[in-house]
Amino acid sequence: MMFIVFAVLALALVVGGLGHRRLSLCLIFLFFVLAVKQFLWEIYSPDYGFRMPWIQVQLMNDNAVSASTV
Amino acid sequence: MKGLLNRAAVVWDEVGPPMLYVYMLGMMAVIAGILTTAMTLQYVEGELPCPLCLLQRAAMLGVCFGIIQQFRHGFSYTNTGVSLIFSVFLLIVSVRQTLLDIYPRPGHEYVGSAVFGLHMPVWSVIIAVCLITAIAFQLIVWGGQSPSREKRVSHYPSLRAIARVLSFYVIAVGVINFVSVGVQCKFNQCHTFSYQLLD
Repeated sequence: MMFIVFAVLALALVVGGLGHRRLSLCLIFLFFVLAVKQFLWEIYSPDYGFRMPWIQVQLMNDNAVSASTV
Repeated sequence: MKGLLNRAAVVWDEVGPPMLYVYMLGMMAVIAGILTTAMTLQYVEGELPCPLCLLQRAAMLGVCFGIIQQFRHGFSYTNTGVSLIFSVFLLIVSVRQTLLDIYPRPGHEYVGSAVFGLHMPVWSVIIAVCLITAIAFQLIVWGGQSPSREKRVSHYPSLRAIARVLSFYVIAVGVINFVSVGVQCKFNQCHTFSYQLLD
């Protein structure tokens, strides 16, 4: 899939460099959609989904909050 | 006072467009330098890029696409928007990767060696913020100036020559990366252990 993402990007760059504006803009838009899809696929985890539990902070309970404000 | 302001406006209309093209050339040269450094680390030091690193390279090439279009077809907000959206994409990908590896866990550590003490995704966050700031600055200074849209880079032969060479270099970098991804990943999921086509 990454190969296709880079293929569309390279094609957009070459077509844009040759001066075909509309076609290159269509290709760069297609590249953007594919890149976003690839990004979401890469970061998805079967265990965590899109969450990142390893950086979640522990919620302070009410006692801790009231103790810290005293 | 009014005459002085009018005179300043006339001078700015003259020097504004070439300054804009120099500014954009500078942006593209910096991105080309970053991509060249990343490719040097890959091919010389043998540090294969991770999938999110590859997406960050692609986002930087997307920013360059917008700038190349500025040189090819003149200044427009469409091209600036293309560069801006890929800058934001670069920021999202690099922040996510930084957060992914920020807490050491088995199989999750920063890929590659540190440059000046910072790893590539952290550098990418800084680069993305700088790019977004640079584009905002570009719109503030040149956004309302109509001569920038009328005078193309072809009005300035030396700038046009530099823009052509740099654009060609960036397009070549894009094509080399496409071939490189083909060798590294084939049609499979990318990993950083080896070039899958050469296994």
